[in-house]
Amino acid sequence: MTGGVDIAGVTKAFGPDGRRTTVLDDVSLTIGRGEFVSVIGPSGCGKSTLLKVVAGLIPADSGSVTIDGESVRTATRDKLIGLVPQSPALLPWKTVLENVRLPMRVNAKANAGRSLRDPAELLSSFGLGQALNKYPSQLSGGMQQRAAIARAFVFDPGVLLMDEPFSALDEMNRDQQRLGLLEFWQSNRKSVLFVTHSVPEAIMLSDRIVVMAAHPGRIAEVIDVDLPRPRSVEAYATDAFRDLEGHVRDTLHSVMEETHV
Amino acid sequence: MSETQTMATARIAAAAAPAPGTGPGLVKRLRVTTWLPPLIAFAVAGVLWQLVAITNPYVIPTLDAIGASLVSDAGMYASNLLVTAQEVVIGAAAGILGGFLLAVVMAEFQIVERAVMPLVVMVMVTPIVAIAPALVVAFGFGMMPKYIVTGLVVFFPMLVNSLAGLRDVDGRALDVMTTLHASRWEIFRHLRLPGSMPYFFAGLRIALPLAIVGAAVAEFVAAGQQAGLGSLVTVSAAQANLPVTWASIALLCVMGVVLVAALAIVRKRVLWWSDGEIVAR
Repeated sequence: MTGGVDIAGVTKAFGPDGRRTTVLDDVSLTIGRGEFVSVIGPSGCGKSTLLKVVAGLIPADSGSVTIDGESVRTATRDKLIGLVPQSPALLPWKTVLENVRLPMRVNAKANAGRSLRDPAELLSSFGLGQALNKYPSQLSGGMQQRAAIARAFVFDPGVLLMDEPFSALDEMNRDQQRLGLLEFWQSNRKSVLFVTHSVPEAIMLSDRIVVMAAHPGRIAEVIDVDLPRPRSVEAYATDAFRDLEGHVRDTLHSVMEETHV
Repeated sequence: MSETQTMATARIAAAAAPAPGTGPGLVKRLRVTTWLPPLIAFAVAGVLWQLVAITNPYVIPTLDAIGASLVSDAGMYASNLLVTAQEVVIGAAAGILGGFLLAVVMAEFQIVERAVMPLVVMVMVTPIVAIAPALVVAFGFGMMPKYIVTGLVVFFPMLVNSLAGLRDVDGRALDVMTTLHASRWEIFRHLRLPGSMPYFFAGLRIALPLAIVGAAVAEFVAAGQQAGLGSLVTVSAAQANLPVTWASIALLCVMGVVLVAALAIVRKRVLWWSDGEIVAR
């Protein structure tokens, strides 16, 4: 019983027979229980596809994914996966509180024996205590995305999958949301697969960074982030952070040159 | 706090907060630039009408003749208006319900759409004016053929728009529901049904005026019956009783305006969360 996510030899191709593009080529990755893993890479490297395969939204052509030792299908049935999509995707006709309560109401038989959170309390800890009864359209983009993250945490899943959750925000706002997530996650450890475009974001949040290459999408390198935890905004200014940033950027550059040649 | 209590509090709070889309409201509507231009346009149209009517009394009646007819025969107009209104309400309700329910079944079971849609399209491209007399033969001069014709013209826009709405789901919200292993019913109830409402109302926006067309056409065909504003139009026109003809037309017009205005009010209440009006097809 390993816990976490185990991705073994996952391959996925799209397109008609004969002109198929391999989006994921033999991708293997293990995310330990309570480990935060970021996936970074050029567009077309299949990082979002990988996340969708793990979420059970698209099937892999070959290879396997297990979550806490179960198949993805069983894991979704047991509500073990919390998904934070690229856009908040809150339902505009429901209040923030109703939106966050929705995952507990849906597939309610899987709620048995888990420590569900109080949605209002959870939203308060995300700084949305004043916004419980507001509608998504009355919230800023950052607040909406925080509500979407709360919606993924509320039913206490073991695994969180986040697909560039802050990509629509401006840089200042983005950093604020990122630090908010970091703080929350550090006191609520879950296995996280976090897809991002941002190098500092990946370093700040992660235990490990998976750098992917494109055409075909594959894992180029896995970089350990050995910055001490708990981390906070001060970590940005450390030499260790800068060294890591240089290392990740170099890896990304070599990956992209390789693609263009 | 119980669920219902929480919900109630939520609603009160939502009511207290300015709901998006209902901003300046009344103040804006009272602005001169808003109501004066259409008023001038109406006045010009009225004057032109009157000029033509006075010089050509056998083409159109004067506005005061129409008004006088409406006043002196108020009871007669009221009873005919009620007949047409009944046809519109019952026929439209049946068409809306039928169109929406079939859309739900089609959205959930694609095989039904593939099976039934060609048939539906075939019926809908057949001119309703041609079907109406056949229906009168089949169902007699009573209300039934009028309900059917009205229902038929309403049915198609409701079906097409509801179907488009039920299909147009936020893919990312659907992804979230899928990873939660939400049942089809839960996805329908929480996502598809409320999400389809902008399209549903876009469908109503074209279906309701069409309902009046349907009722009037059905009455034309069964004109001997002398019931309903449509019958009144054909009968009075045949007798060259122009004030009655135009008074009936005016009442049909008012009916359409009232329906569309009522719809706009309901839409604003129900769809305050929707940012833009979906344009009906």
